[in-house]
Order: sequence, then structure tokens, then C-alpha cells
Amino acid sequence: MKRENNSVKITVTVNGIEYRETVPAHTTLLQFLREKLLLTGTKEGCGIGECGACTVIMNGKSVASCLVLAAEADGARVRTVEGEMRDGELSVLQKAFIEHGATQCGFCTPGMIMSAQELLERNSNPSREEVVEAIAGNLCRCTGYEPIVEAIEAVITSKDSSRRNT
Amino acid sequence: MAETNDSYTYIGKSVTRRDGVEKVTGAALFTHDLVVQGMLYAKTVRSPYAYARIKSIDTREAEKWPGVRAVVTGKELSYKVGLYVLDKDILAKDYARYQGEAVAAVAADSELAAEQACEKIRVEWEPLQPVLDPKEALKENAPRVHPDLEHYGYMKGVFFPKPGTNIPHQQKIRKGDVGKGFRQADAVVETRFYNPPVQHVPIETHVSIAQALPGGKVQIWTSAQSPYTVRNLFSVCFGIPHQNIRVKVPYVGGGFGGKAGIHLEPLCYVLSRKAGGRPVKLTMTREEEFNTMPSRQGLYSEFKTGATKDGKIVALQVGYYWDAGAYADYGVNIGRAAAYAGAGPYEVPNCSIDSYVVYTNKVFGTAYRGFGHLEVLWGIERNMDIVARTIGLDPVEFRMRNVLRPGSVTITGERITEHHGRVDKCLQAVAKEIGWKGYKTEQQREQEKRSGKVRGKGTALLHKAPAMPTFTSTGVVLKFNENGTVDLMTSLVDYGQGTYTTLAQIAAEELKIPLEKINIPWDSDTSFTPYDWQTVASKGAFMSGNATIMAARDCLRQLKETASQVLRCPVEELECGSERVFLRHQPDTAIQYKDLAYGYVYPNGNAIGGPVIGRGLYIAQGLTNLDPETGQGLPALDWTYGAHGMEIEVDTETGNVEVLKIASSFDVGKVLNEALVRGQIIGGVVQGLGSAMTEEFRFSREGKLENPGLVDYKILSAKDIPRKMTQHVVETPQTDGPYGARGVAEHPMISVPSALGNALYDALGIDYFRLPLNAERIYFGIRSGKKEHHG
Amino acid sequence: MIKPFFYLKPRTLEEALDALQADGARALAGGTDLLVEMRNGERRPETLVDIKGLKDLEELTFDPQKGATIGAGVSLNVLIDNAQVRKHLPVLSEAAFSIATYQLRNRATLVGNICNASPAADMAPALYILGGEVVIANAEGQRRLPIHDFLTGVKQTALKQGELVLRVEIPRLAKGKMAFLKKQRIKGHDLALINMAGLADRQTGALRICIGACAVTPVLLSDLGSLYKDAKDVEKLAERVAELSGSAISPIDDVRCSKEYREDMVRVFVKRLVRQICSGG
Repeated sequence: MKRENNSVKITVTVNGIEYRETVPAHTTLLQFLREKLLLTGTKEGCGIGECGACTVIMNGKSVASCLVLAAEADGARVRTVEGEMRDGELSVLQKAFIEHGATQCGFCTPGMIMSAQELLERNSNPSREEVVEAIAGNLCRCTGYEPIVEAIEAVITSKDSSRRNT
Repeated sequence: MAETNDSYTYIGKSVTRRDGVEKVTGAALFTHDLVVQGMLYAKTVRSPYAYARIKSIDTREAEKWPGVRAVVTGKELSYKVGLYVLDKDILAKDYARYQGEAVAAVAADSELAAEQACEKIRVEWEPLQPVLDPKEALKENAPRVHPDLEHYGYMKGVFFPKPGTNIPHQQKIRKGDVGKGFRQADAVVETRFYNPPVQHVPIETHVSIAQALPGGKVQIWTSAQSPYTVRNLFSVCFGIPHQNIRVKVPYVGGGFGGKAGIHLEPLCYVLSRKAGGRPVKLTMTREEEFNTMPSRQGLYSEFKTGATKDGKIVALQVGYYWDAGAYADYGVNIGRAAAYAGAGPYEVPNCSIDSYVVYTNKVFGTAYRGFGHLEVLWGIERNMDIVARTIGLDPVEFRMRNVLRPGSVTITGERITEHHGRVDKCLQAVAKEIGWKGYKTEQQREQEKRSGKVRGKGTALLHKAPAMPTFTSTGVVLKFNENGTVDLMTSLVDYGQGTYTTLAQIAAEELKIPLEKINIPWDSDTSFTPYDWQTVASKGAFMSGNATIMAARDCLRQLKETASQVLRCPVEELECGSERVFLRHQPDTAIQYKDLAYGYVYPNGNAIGGPVIGRGLYIAQGLTNLDPETGQGLPALDWTYGAHGMEIEVDTETGNVEVLKIASSFDVGKVLNEALVRGQIIGGVVQGLGSAMTEEFRFSREGKLENPGLVDYKILSAKDIPRKMTQHVVETPQTDGPYGARGVAEHPMISVPSALGNALYDALGIDYFRLPLNAERIYFGIRSGKKEHHG
Repeated sequence: MIKPFFYLKPRTLEEALDALQADGARALAGGTDLLVEMRNGERRPETLVDIKGLKDLEELTFDPQKGATIGAGVSLNVLIDNAQVRKHLPVLSEAAFSIATYQLRNRATLVGNICNASPAADMAPALYILGGEVVIANAEGQRRLPIHDFLTGVKQTALKQGELVLRVEIPRLAKGKMAFLKKQRIKGHDLALINMAGLADRQTGALRICIGACAVTPVLLSDLGSLYKDAKDVEKLAERVAELSGSAISPIDDVRCSKEYREDMVRVFVKRLVRQICSGG
């Protein structure tokens, strides 16, 4: 294979919209989302996958977008927090976060919501342990986590079928 | 200002936060997210040495790197920055004083270009011998971190830098006669403790954007807790008049005190100036957040306590040695505040405290939730348990015999009244919640040890008042919109506490309009939102709450004034409610707020009144400076007392601790919003557990920070929280607080480590003296077989 | 920040091997170690060869007769979710589950974990006790190495430039009880202070224990078989194995904990491991 230049052409669907872009190879998916697509909901908290603030859902799985190259997202379906509302309505999880005080400064919230949403979509009745495991990769310094777990558990027990956002 | 009426519409209710939608949808913009037209990105070069002379900096290659628009070094800047002592350069000049200190900076078209250019900057260093321990730094021939200390400007009358030393401030408290007290004592106990430096770890790192505008003006966007402090310190530093500096603060991703002062803004500005006025953004990486941005000071604390056999403290002599790091920043004030709180919430008739703030060649300390109180109460509350045991008293009982009650006098001479909080009730509540029945016996411990797991319980008290200038003030403006809604303007920053929600509740309550009709524009902007000193010190709800009440009443006065003309009646006969002004004896005779909001228009076209804009303010009343020799004075706006009770289980083979339960109680005066209070308590407790169990800066022998990152600086994850956390409040009204309320923002973090230390004694029969109480430390204490573990 | 590099995504193994010949070329699978190193400036590969286009590498196979194979592209979560692995090779699932966080496990791979070759690699001890073999492709064909020959030092493997690990094979399904233990500083995402895997087969009397994070490469305790066979008492066996482990390891002091703590915890955990896998029917 020939090395041509260090740009890559990618086609990626983000929150249902297809984008075709050429980006430098070293661009992470996080940078692509925030700087190219101006979707700043997803945050950088550490750049090394430790804090989870950059969590998005890629092809149905939650990933730390700071450790995914935009190039690796070629052909992928990506969901960020900006895409969680439907027809102007907050998702059941988003509403639960507000009701249960699961967000304080709000900086970890987008990543936290994506991790939690992904859990709800793959597991119809997670235990508390499974909830905690799903968000253990999302660091929060404000809430002490308990209200976040409560918000997610409220969605689980609400048995609201519309919580599946896909 | 306290209302005693308990049938409130909004006060005391758990209304949900205002800002939820923006945060859960990602719409909330943080400085982290902002892009300003023409913006450049900055990166810095930092010192690899704890102390070194900068021999030369060669920036030629960096200047030529594609995309670079400005390169700055300390040499070309002759400004000093500081909150209380002007000891800091914008970029290290001549000397780098801590490993991680910025010595050069580049602004370029992209972050990558800036970083690559920084790699091309060549610094010639002459490493020098650093001083890394405050006790070493106090010695006679210690190297001086600031040889020019005597020439620095500083806040006179409050702080007292000692020329020729490494001491930017020393605070003394002298009450009674400790010598006499010790002679009266039946037991004299000496203890020593240590807390390492730790970091706030806000999930949004420090980030600022500054732009040098034409005409000598400056525009700043910053992740900060105090837009007006940024403006003021900026003005002092550069000599630019206040009105020419505009500071904007959008959403802030956590602060905890670390963003209270001024940090990156001056550097962004000098880069912008050099780059022809283009805005410059500097975002700290997580590593820089640990390594370059400030920490919480480390502390050595030493206690000598004299107690009688019936459990009264008769004398307390304390030495606090603060590891301030390379710059004074807030450190000097922490040394001051923690001193005047430095005996704990107890009545101590004879007390002598010496609190030394000491420079070392480490990253500098700043405000961090609790402002020195977690650090001193680690020692104080552990000491209380140890003294209790020495005289053979139950530690809860010992505390009860000494706590401040109405009639008590504090160590600064403040008299406790009926309107102060009740720390005894907090202690009773947590002791009951954890089922405290006294220490285990040695036999019980031995028996439990056989299973490999032992349980223990511990309690600890806390207190804190806002540590702020005696003249601290705040303003709130309420302005009506044509539809009868109201905008609440404040420069208090809500970075997660939920204070905006509380203020909205207060405004709605006072104006008697639905809560949804109070609108709080999120951003603070020194051009528009009225002055607030700083969002620190747990004073937001108190002071801005009072200011909101005043502003609301001002609105009602204006509404009534105009209405009285229209309704042709004396103002005294008017009442406000349900968004209208009406005649008390004829309620149907009324005018809606919205018809008065921008002035009233008569049918014939005449108009009276005008836009209704309510002004409210609050200034701390009656506070005094502390006497430099005795520390006597009135520094405290209000004291919030609290207690924690903890139950733990220790794995004796590994030292692992499981926190089974933590019960917390605070006398908040009046719960304004239960959900928000609960949020502060849980969040603070978990953050406190981090300081208690895992967090510490680890430095090499040369003073290099070895764990500047989340891989090796561990904060608690969702898997690490206690099995059960309970929250309890006492409501002894604070007469001058809004509806009787006091602050509770910092308090939940304080004394969490102390409660853990006390619970460990109960479980293991071992006293620990250093934080963090991680598994390794606990294990080695167990292994030693000794009753004290100082390692 | 990650510095510029060339990115290639080969469609065939031949293309991949060809691309990997270039100086400074590295394979990219999950990226959860490599991209971190690149961001930190610890590694600056000129070319990244994304192997996720090679679908064969995503294979995870399980056969009671032939053993298991875990392709280079199999993520840790896919491994964990595999019911047969959980049932027959639980030590692999347990080790994988202890790594990082859920979202990182969606990307990180078992092969990536051993190629990164940290002395604390969580997947390594399990592979040692299971007799794992690393299958490597190069221009000449393929070769295989037992795991203990593959890991050669701190962040060092026997992989040469131009080679690619295709998969790890567990050639024979181990019988008996197995477990993985890891000591961390917090329950959340953390590297191992020490880790270990153990396998005990009552019928054959086989006992294998491998300890990680206590030497430059994992330490396999050999010659435990006769001990197990002759053991009358699990507690005495555990004590004896713990003693042997003490002399086999050479841990260091580092920012995470002291050498002494590692030594002591190895004793504690080896005993717990032996109790867990050697007791009961």
C-alpha cells in the first residue's frame, strides 16, 4: 500500500446525518465532533480514556471518543448527546437526570447520559451493579454518583418502552 | 431578614434545577467549548525542575513554526499577580519555582501547531536545590523561594509576610493563658498529623480566552468562579482601568475553589497583545491541571491538649505548618481562616494557635472546598478522639462536654447565641444513625479479626464560616419583562451547586409570582451582571439570597408606587400577590404586574412609572479584622456546624476499607431546597472520601510530581461510593440569613477523613496520623502490630 | 495531542504485512494503549496500520476438542459476552472484566493487551496458566510462540517489524477450577498493583499459578503439581504456594505502591487463589 498523504476521507453518520469530510489522520473522533461538526456537547476531560466525558455511542456501543480516530469512524453511525432528544422532547433518561438531580455542573453529563443510554438499550433490566458498572468509566466530581444511579434506576423501573431511543 | 412563616410556596421545596435541559442536551456552553472569531490556541513550556534558574530561552525556531502568531517568555513581562501577596509572575521570570511552572508560551492557529512549536523552544536551566517541606523551609538556612518577599505588595493589615523568610503569612490566636491551662489539666496529650497536597480535579480543566482589544480594552471568557475578582486582579496586575476589562463566565464545569482566583487569563492576554489582538485560548490538559494549576496545600498540624478528668478542655496549643507551594495565592488566607477556626467547634478557655503559611518549591496551593478546614479538622477531630481515650471518656461524650453552645465564647472572642447552629444536635443525629455505643473492646476486636474483616464506627464534627473580607458584598438586580416575567441578574456563578435555582425560588416567593416566571440568564458578565465578590465560601445562598429578597421588595415598592397612582389610593393599602397589585380591602381592584412592568399607560395615552428594575444588595455586617497578635475579632458571617458518623469494614489482610455507611448532619438554619442540599451533601461527602482514602500528590525527591494524571491520581468512581449515605439537617434559624438559612456548600467534605480515621481506631485499635488512609497505609499499620502508625 | 502520522486500512492480510514492513509502522486495533502513548509522546509511529478491516481477525472460536481462538480484533467486551468462554475459560472473562471501563472494553482487545506488554497486563497471567499461544503472521507465513516466549520485557515482545499477531490460541481446554484476582487502589478503573491467575485440576493434580505486575514479565510458578497431589490440607497448600511465590517474584517500588506491599499482597492473594481453586469437589 502506498502512503499518500496523512489525510483521510471519511463518511460518518452522526445523529442521523451523514457527513463526508477529509480530515488529518491524527484527528480523533472527539476532535472531529467538536471542532469540525461543532457538536460541543461531548467533552474532553483527560484525553486518555480515563474520565468518560468524551463517551459517545458508535455502532451501538459506548466508546471513549478521545481514543477513537475519526478515520476509524469511517462508515460508522455515531450518536452524541445532541441527538438524544426526539421531536423536541427530552428522552426518558434526560428527564430522569433532571428530576433526580443527576447533574450539577453538567460537564460529565453528556458522557454519562450516553453510557447510561447504551446500557438501557442493551439490557432491559439491569441490576444496580450493572448500572454502576456501565457508568464506572464516567467520572463525576460534583454529584457523588448516587443521584445519577437513582435517575437511571428510575428509568428502569418506569417500564416506559419509549426509553429505547433508537 | 428571616421569615418565621412556614407556609411558603417555594422555600423549602425540592424544585428541580433550572439548568437541567441545557446540561442534559449538551447545549450548555462551557469555556471549554467556546470559539471566538479569529481565535488562536496557546500551549506552554513548563519547568522540569522544582527550582531552577532560567539561563536562557531560545524561541527562534518556535517563532518560525508555521501557524505561530506569538511567543512570550517571562523576560518580556514585568507584572506581578496575586490575591493577597503580589508574588507571582505571569510566566516564570529568571527562576522557575515549581516543577510544572510555565516559563514560555506560544499562540498559534491550531493547538497542534502551538504544541509542536513549544517542542522547539530550548530552555537552558541551572537546576538549584529546592526546598520541598514546609518544616525544612522554616529552618534558619533554608533556601528562599522568594528572596524578594520584602519588596512585594500585599494586603496590609490582614496579612503579614515575614521579610527574610519563606513565610508569606503567620496567623496567631491567643486566648487566655495556655500555660495556666496546662497546669490545671489532669492530662496533657500531644499529637501530630499530616495531610498531603491534593487536587480539585474539576472535570472541566482550567481554560480561558482573552483578547486585547484596540483602545486598551480587554475581553475575557473564562471558566472561573469570580468574574469580578478576575477583573480586579487583572486591573491591579496590568494597570488597566476596571471599566475597560470585560469578563464573561459561561457554564463552568466544576470549580471547588480551584477556579476562584485568577489563573490563565493574564497569560492569554499577553499572548493576544503580542498576536496583534487576536483572541487566545489556553486549555489546560489534564496533566497540566495537576502539574501547573494549583492544588490544596499540604499541612502539618501539631496539638498539645490539656483536659480535666471530667472531660473539659482547659488548654489547647496548636501549630499549623502549611505547605503553600511556590506562591501565596489563597494560601495565606487559608492559613488565616483555618487558624481562627483552628480549635474546632469547641469552647476552649485557653488557646494558642500559630499558623504558618510556608513557601516551598511545589505547585502552589489555592482555595479548595473547605478552605483549610478539612486539613485542620483532620488533626483536630482525630485529636479529640485521642484525648477522649486518654482521659477515659467516650469520644462522643467528650465532644458533647466541650461543644460550643449558646453562651460559649470562641477562640477569637465571638459569643455564640441562640441563633447560631447546634453542633451538638448534629453530633447526636449521626451518632444515633450509626448506632454509636462506644468503642469496641480489645477482645471484640480480636474476635472479629479472626474472620479477616473487622468493623468500626467513628464520628467527627466540623464547622466553617465563610473566609472572606470583612467588606464582602454582593448585588442582585431583578428586571421585569413586558410579559410579567423577571430576569434575575447576578455575578454569583452557579457551577453545579444549584444556587440559581435557590435564588429563583426566593425571588418567586417574594414577588409572589410563579417560579417559572423567574428567568436567570446563565452567563455572568461584568458588563451586565452586578457585582458579586466571589462564588466561594458557602455564602452564595446567604448573601445573594438576602440581596434577592431586597431586590424583590424594591420591585414590589416600585410596582405599588405606580399602582397607587393608577388606583388612586395610598401605597399602604396595596398588597401584592398572584402577579398583581391589588387593594387590600377590595381585591378585585388590581393591576397586573405586566401592565406596570415597563410603565403604566392610561387609556388616553398618558404614561407613568417606567421599567421596573429592583436593586438588592448585601454587605457583610459587623465583621472585623483579626488582631495581629491575638487573632481576636469577628471574622465570621455565619457558622455552619455539622457532623459525620461513619461505619466501615476493614479487610485486615489487605487494608481495604469498605465504607458501609456515612451519616451526615448539618445545621443549615433553613432548608431552602431539600434536593439541592442533599446534592451538596452527597457530592461533598464523596469528594471528602477521595481526600480520605485515595488522593495525594506524590513527589519525587527532586520535587517532581509523579502522578499528574488520572492513571495514578485516583478519584472515586461510581463503584467506590459508600453502601449507604444518609443526610440529616437541623434547622436553628440564622437570624440574618434568607428565611433563616445558612450555607452548606463546602461543609459536607470537611471532617470526612477524620471520621474515617476515628472509625479505623474503633475497628483496629490503631491510630493513623497521615492521609490518605489507603489500603497500603492501613495494612502496614496492622502489620506493625503497634497502636500508632505514623507512616 | 496526537502528532501527525499516515493512516492505512488494509483490506487483506498481505496488504497489512506489507504496510507493517515500513520503519515506524504499528498495528492499530483498539487503540486504547497505543493512542494514549501517542498523545503522551511516548511513541511516535509514522504509520498506523488499522487492522480492523481484516474481518478474519474478529473471530472468536470455541471448540471443546480443539480449544479456543481469540482473534486480534476481538474486543474485551465481545470476549466477556461469549457464554462458552465464560463457562469453560472463566479466568479469561474475569481477567477481561477487570480491565479499564465498559466503554474502553468495547475497543480494547486481548491481543492488544499482550502486545502492549505492560508487566501488569491483566490478560497475561490467564494465558500463562492456560498455555496460550500467540499466532503471528509475517511475509514468510506464520509462526507461533507460547505466551511466555512472546512477552520478553517491559513493554517488549518478540514481535518483529513487519509481523502481525493474528490471534491467541488456547490449544487445549483446561479442566478444573480457575480464577483471576487483581489488587487495585480503587474499585473503579485502575491498573493492577498485582494480579494473578490460577488453575487447579483435581483429577490430574495440575496446579498452575501465574503472577503479574511483580517482575518485568509475568511469573509462572512451576512445579506445583506434586504439591497439590500430596496436599492434605488446602490451608497448608496455600501457605506453601505463597512461600514459593515469594521467592519467585521481584516486585518494585513505584508510584502506585511499595515493593513491600506487593510482596505481602502476593502472599495474601496467592493464598486466596489457592483456597478458591483447590477446595471443594
